[in-house]
Amino acid sequence: MGEGKKTDALEDKVCQGSDSDPLKKRTPIIEVKNLYKIYKVGETKVYALGGVDFTMYRGEFCAIVGPSGSGKSTLLNMLAGLEKPSKGEIVIDKVHIEKMKENELVAFRRKRVGFIFQSYNLLKTLNAVENVALPLSFRGMPRKKRNEIARKYLKLVGLEKQMDHMANAMSGGQQQRVGIARALAVKPRIIFADEPTGNLDSKTTMEILKLMRKIVREQEQTLVMVTHDNHLASYADRQFHIVDGKIFKIEECHHHQEEEIEG
Amino acid sequence: MRTALTVLGVIIGVASVVIMVSLGIGLNQLMLEMYSSYGDMTTISIFSNARYSDSGSDSDPMYLTDEVMEQFKHLDHVTGVSPMLSCYALFKQGVYETSIDITGVSQEYLEKIPLGQGQAPKEGDPMKLIYGNSVIQWFRNSKTGKGYWDTMELPDVDFMDKPMFVIFDMDAYYQSQGGGENAPKPPKKYMVETAGVVEGGVDDYNSYAYSVYTEIEGLKAQLKKIFKKKPIPNQPTNKKGKPYPYFIYDNAVVFVDDMANVTEVQKVINDMGYQANSQMEWIEQSQQTYDIIQLVLGGIGAISLFVAAIGIANTMMMSIYERTKEIGVIKVLGCDMGNIRNMFLMESGFIGFLGGVIGLMISFGVSYAMNNFLGLGQAMMGVEGDISRIPLWLAASGVVFAVFVGMAAGFFPSLRAMKLSPLAAIRNE
Repeated sequence: MGEGKKTDALEDKVCQGSDSDPLKKRTPIIEVKNLYKIYKVGETKVYALGGVDFTMYRGEFCAIVGPSGSGKSTLLNMLAGLEKPSKGEIVIDKVHIEKMKENELVAFRRKRVGFIFQSYNLLKTLNAVENVALPLSFRGMPRKKRNEIARKYLKLVGLEKQMDHMANAMSGGQQQRVGIARALAVKPRIIFADEPTGNLDSKTTMEILKLMRKIVREQEQTLVMVTHDNHLASYADRQFHIVDGKIFKIEECHHHQEEEIEG
Repeated sequence: MRTALTVLGVIIGVASVVIMVSLGIGLNQLMLEMYSSYGDMTTISIFSNARYSDSGSDSDPMYLTDEVMEQFKHLDHVTGVSPMLSCYALFKQGVYETSIDITGVSQEYLEKIPLGQGQAPKEGDPMKLIYGNSVIQWFRNSKTGKGYWDTMELPDVDFMDKPMFVIFDMDAYYQSQGGGENAPKPPKKYMVETAGVVEGGVDDYNSYAYSVYTEIEGLKAQLKKIFKKKPIPNQPTNKKGKPYPYFIYDNAVVFVDDMANVTEVQKVINDMGYQANSQMEWIEQSQQTYDIIQLVLGGIGAISLFVAAIGIANTMMMSIYERTKEIGVIKVLGCDMGNIRNMFLMESGFIGFLGGVIGLMISFGVSYAMNNFLGLGQAMMGVEGDISRIPLWLAASGVVFAVFVGMAAGFFPSLRAMKLSPLAAIRNE
């Protein structure tokens, strides 16, 4: 059924001076093949994702864009191993994750993935340093070492002065910076961000977005961001537009160096 | 606050179990103490049926003789044997006199008697007597004919410092007392030294209180000397009406190395054809009763601990609901599922531990109060002693059990936490 449409949607659209050569040199980090997610609501089947194929490369900033209910969050959850696909393959860093058991998935996330949430999801009972150090503690790192690393990343996101503040004593922007530091601290290959600026005002949004892009570029990490906002998505290297569980188009935008389109 | 209430539940549960069990233990031990005041619990008394009922059969009656004593001595678990031979005798000191049995026992037996005054006679000593602490009550004033029970005044008898005269040949004595001119001379009086008096006041009961003891070989020698060729009273005769050339004992006592072996030895002796009795029979019976009491008491306590366990489970469930988001977040961040489970198990185990320790302290307090202020032991058993006893094993197992109950109650909630979907965490509310 959906086969014909899918091929149409796969034609990449280039929006700004593209150099097509690097595409081949770049190493793929996320490969998705023919991915389906089907929910059963009573007797009827609902296709949250109806056959998705794409590849994301190392060091890329990708945005998954689409209106609510389009299946973009489902896609992100499956990439992160939080949900199981009904059909299809997900290969991350050459490893198939669709067949992993839950404890393997936990280990996979611990080793390779960083998360940035819309509602920050910091632990309220911990201070900024402890929050950032938390995922490191899951790797069994001793307290002294992980706190040192946590301080380093908090400095990187510009929170030198708030290191010992409790999580709920900080503003939304500050909390999200802690969240970013937490995602970066484990040095993951991939960072998933689900509407990271959804709860922030527009000025903070820009700051956070630029910060994320800057750090990801510097560290050669892959950032996958889910958003419903086309404008925010335009900051990404590539935009995957999803509508009704299918990739509608993939847009490539190259932003030269650090100069921004808008302020 | 919620945790505090849960801990309170565990406290009450643990305290009630510990107190109830301690009452059970206390009752049981009080009973043992009561029985041991009646007599040594590791001794078996042995009687021979033949001694009192003439079976008339051809075979030799099963008398308790030195030979039999030797057999008993070689049984397993038997540490000692004492034959018992009694002879009725008249005691006289000044105007006071009384007739009671002198019981001859082995040296070993004598040494087991707790003495309040004096010392047990040594081996090879001439015949010496040990008086029960209540024996003095039997003496009567021979002039007024009144004794302790009439006047309620203790006779002026001193065992230790004044000489005591004993007449063994009672028949001759009665004949001489019979009056008439041709009454024979009263038999010879012997002055017998006192070795000691049994521990305890005049009214304190123990199994030695009303008897007079002496070393059996000395008694046998004395009897032979007095009665010479005449039959010794109380000794059985053979079919021809002649006395046996050896002593036949009234009964005997066997000492066993441990309480646990008493029943076994007793059975062996019964199988040999003698009548064996021990305190253990009674103790075992009442022990069964007390076991049931203890079970019931423990059961009552266990119910409250069970309720507390439900409380823990409930608290853990609630705290997992509250922390769904945190659990999800740490799961997304890569926390091992086992770690999450252990975290909650530790928490519920800690609730159990805290409740257990505080509950134990309260138990000790309540136990102390019951023992010292209420005098329940006296009221319920008629014995002086602690009614509630918390031995170390009970204290330790109380806490261990509380931790176990806590963790058991927290187990299913913790599994639930482990299996919580991480999606719940990143879903935006």
